[in-house]
Amino acid sequence: MTDLTTNFAGIELRNPVLLASGTCGYGEELAPFLDLARLGGIVTKTITPEPRAGNAPPRIVETAAGMLNSIGLQNPGIDAFVQDKWPYLATLDTQIIVNIAAPTAQLHGAMAARLEEVQGIAGIEVNISSPNMKDGGMLFGCSPSASREVIAAVRSETRRPVIAKLTPNVTDIAAIANAVEDGGADGISMINTLLGMAVDWRTRKPILGNVTGGLSGPAIKPVALALLWKVRQAVNIPIMGLGGIATAADALEFLVAGAAAVQVGTSTFVDPGGAADIVAGIERECAAADITRVGDLVGTLRV
Amino acid sequence: MTLTRSASADVTSKVVATTEVAEAFYQTRLRVPTREQAPVLTVEPGQFVQLQPRPPEGVYPYLRIPLSVSAVDEAGGIVDVLYEVVGPKTGALRRIAVGEDIGFLGPFGNGFPTPSTGATPILVGGGIGVPPLIYFGTVLRAAGTTPPILVVGARSKSKHLPDGLLDSASHDVRRATDDGSLGHAGLVTDLLQDAFGEGHQAPVVYTCGPHAMMAAVARLCADHKVPCFASLEEYMACGIGVCVGCVVERANGTSQSSPYDHYARVCVDGPIFDSRQIAW
Repeated sequence: MTDLTTNFAGIELRNPVLLASGTCGYGEELAPFLDLARLGGIVTKTITPEPRAGNAPPRIVETAAGMLNSIGLQNPGIDAFVQDKWPYLATLDTQIIVNIAAPTAQLHGAMAARLEEVQGIAGIEVNISSPNMKDGGMLFGCSPSASREVIAAVRSETRRPVIAKLTPNVTDIAAIANAVEDGGADGISMINTLLGMAVDWRTRKPILGNVTGGLSGPAIKPVALALLWKVRQAVNIPIMGLGGIATAADALEFLVAGAAAVQVGTSTFVDPGGAADIVAGIERECAAADITRVGDLVGTLRV
Repeated sequence: MTLTRSASADVTSKVVATTEVAEAFYQTRLRVPTREQAPVLTVEPGQFVQLQPRPPEGVYPYLRIPLSVSAVDEAGGIVDVLYEVVGPKTGALRRIAVGEDIGFLGPFGNGFPTPSTGATPILVGGGIGVPPLIYFGTVLRAAGTTPPILVVGARSKSKHLPDGLLDSASHDVRRATDDGSLGHAGLVTDLLQDAFGEGHQAPVVYTCGPHAMMAAVARLCADHKVPCFASLEEYMACGIGVCVGCVVERANGTSQSSPYDHYARVCVDGPIFDSRQIAW
């Protein structure tokens, strides 16, 4: 029997499998399909200081081995989250990481401060990387200095573990990773979606209402693994890997490439109970390979 | 037919038969195993299912195919879906051989609201929007309500479903084609206008079809102060409310306490909406 327990940046996880932000809502809709207590944790859909309507539809289009989305962070805002969504989340026997985004560094800090009043949150994941949030003026995650500033603002307002979620849509992701580590992040999650577009040549129109969106699904797994490997060598804080994970083997590949834990994202849209199968598969594969602790696999890539 | 949500099943169904029923329109009959938690398969008319024709080790198609249901045999665990082959995904569904597996998830969403006693249901379908109305009409007739009128439109005769598929839903089927090759040469709204002129008691309209058609039906119903319920479609990923991808804009003046409520999710807030609630 392999020990699957994992400590990620001070968060005790039953196993290294979590659900990614934006793919599990606020837990409730998934409960009929998946016993969330089987997982290490869930990362809630991004909340912002104010409620957001999100982008005009169409917001979804299937692509080769994946999909594009341009949801645009539709969410009820932090106050409604705390009042309406948190009470259910608080009943779950799994770690809850709350994902936040805001238009300024200062407002990120204010959100972290507001969440300090809420009991039971395991950690804060800071979404500095959504390709669908234009009105923030800029994408923090594309600039090392802006990334550092946002993470430092959150760091100064919370005692909880702070995880920076990175975008792959940059020239040098290691520079961003160094900046968030410098800003006080306890961990990194990566990667967010790749910027993408789909075109209907007959109408000469983009398919997504927002023109471009974020690519996710199995198509992006090799990109995620390469960037994870790069960042693993650049920082000393733990990394949660995500990007196209759909099977236990996918998850194990991320662990070997240097992720201390993984998030399952888009795959849940296709197979809402699949994350529990991934946990069972990791246990089975590790046992068969005589691995006593799943943590022993982390970062064992032989190059 | 109940108004409560059915227990969701995530199971592997088997193809019993796939038949071409009109030009590029196929009906696939699925045998759906029941589970201990949900021993009887119940599907409300208007609900949809998420099918996965991808082989277990394959990568394509990726997302499931959301389809409405055209007939159900609850006791036998049989579900019929009726779809148009428009691309590689529906093509993959059509090619699954008899006896082979298709992932089956659902049913999801709300159903058509039951007409009040004495009301006359008028079902208005266009193109491949007809199937959920077939199931609804069948259930209404079995329930012994006022017999439904079924108005069906399509581009041409070759795109009309045969009488045999519509008989169980209505004995009063009225057809229209754009090119005049079958029935009324013109739009379903012409036939709906005629039906309004016949003085039926408390008409209530249920519609499913192309967006522009449903918008025209909704407008005509509003003009005649007739309630109208529309079954909407949008590109969909999860089908269970978590991705917030399949949204439609709510009408101005509907209750929106927050910008968060500006868009409704077709999969869990619908797919059936009171037409006055939608920004057409």
